[in-house]
Amino acid sequence: MSERSGIGAVQVAILEALAARPGRGFRSNERLLSQAEVQIGLAPWYAYPVLVDLAQPWKMPVTLIEGQGNFGSRGNDPAASRRYTESRLTDAGRVVLAAERRDLAPVPVGLINGNTYRDGTQPPFQPLAVIEAIRHVMRHAKATGREIVSIIGPPDFITGCTVSGDLDALAAGRPTELRLQAKITISDDRQAVIVENIPPNISTDDAAMSIASRAQETNDLSRPAELRDATRLDVRSVRDESTSRTPDGRIVCKPATGTPPEQVRDQLTRVYGVYTMMYVALPRSLPATIRRWVKVNQTEDLATSLTALETAIISQPSPRY
Amino acid sequence: MAVAPPSGEDGTNGVPSGYPAGVLAAAVLAATGVSLLLVGSAALWLRGESIPVGDADVVIEPGDQNMQRARAALAALALQPQAVPQVARLAILDIVTIMTSYGKIDCLLQRGRLDWDRLRRNSDVVLVAGAELVVAASSDAWSLRRRFKGSTR
Repeated sequence: MSERSGIGAVQVAILEALAARPGRGFRSNERLLSQAEVQIGLAPWYAYPVLVDLAQPWKMPVTLIEGQGNFGSRGNDPAASRRYTESRLTDAGRVVLAAERRDLAPVPVGLINGNTYRDGTQPPFQPLAVIEAIRHVMRHAKATGREIVSIIGPPDFITGCTVSGDLDALAAGRPTELRLQAKITISDDRQAVIVENIPPNISTDDAAMSIASRAQETNDLSRPAELRDATRLDVRSVRDESTSRTPDGRIVCKPATGTPPEQVRDQLTRVYGVYTMMYVALPRSLPATIRRWVKVNQTEDLATSLTALETAIISQPSPRY
Repeated sequence: MAVAPPSGEDGTNGVPSGYPAGVLAAAVLAATGVSLLLVGSAALWLRGESIPVGDADVVIEPGDQNMQRARAALAALALQPQAVPQVARLAILDIVTIMTSYGKIDCLLQRGRLDWDRLRRNSDVVLVAGAELVVAASSDAWSLRRRFKGSTR
């Protein structure tokens, strides 16, 4: 893990390879991964999934690479072969690379992005809140842990899913499990229940299949009546409307005839795919993590690097920050 | 004799009302006639512990007929029925994980072959939405959790 930005060595090598050619145009992923192989000896077959993670806009709050071509979907469609896709650095990617090259002071991108997108245990946090917490600690050396935690807030996944669980345990550095839940709303015309902001570790194809599967069980008369009521999902159709333009995911469920949409909304909260559980653990408490980051890097011009990162995040295509 | 499940919503972790999906998954399996015993976080939740329920961990009673019932019930619930192993495989595998619309169901098959009688002796039947569900004793559930998850309690 890089001390300068908190991202992995393979990720740094990919960013370096992308920046090797002057200009801001897209580069063939086939060529840039060959170059990265020369630098770090990691074959393209292994490095390409890392690159794809950096480019998929639903994976992490700070997107470091902008992709062109088929980079897969929120469903089960994988990215096209590296021969057919291209990449270039985002503004945030350039800031990270500048920090890596010591043209800028370190930036806390690893802290912000976490590593749950690649099955790690450190969740992402709201980018601007992390930057604000670092500035607060720089200004107030005696900032309390409670202040730091309240500035950063709960984990924040870029798809906008709702996060609940023992957040105090997470902030204190104790392992815990979070519940990630999609947002479920009723359409204005009350004809449909919309499932959006699907947790990032759930494929929208799987979520739609899970909803459809539960709906098919509704009429299982072998179950006790009370259990049938507790497990029923009165939905007559499920449509996955997720597109590459809606990386948060969007599934439209039409209630069965005569079923109030409120009932379907409540029933959906118990369908896997609409919710999921995630095991999380920080290496140390959240306040200690922030204090340590400031202490290790305090001799450098953090004010400039944080402003550069903040500007890059605000300019991201995602309207969330 | 069946006992009532806990009231209140502690441990459902954001679910507005009723049973966590993991508990319902086990109840649905039990309602199809599969002889099983609930362990893990769902069992502890039913024992009144304030604990988030992530998935359903069930110990399946060994025996050909029960394995056939379990296989059929799991295939009916699975998002990918073809991924459920055949009965002959269930008889030798240690653990089988099935993804369903209730989340993950972990079938602890080896634990059933080794420990069924002891776990069953300590267990109780709990009524879950009208279905009778055999639930491991708290001490057994914690003990298995420590073994598989490294929980500190």
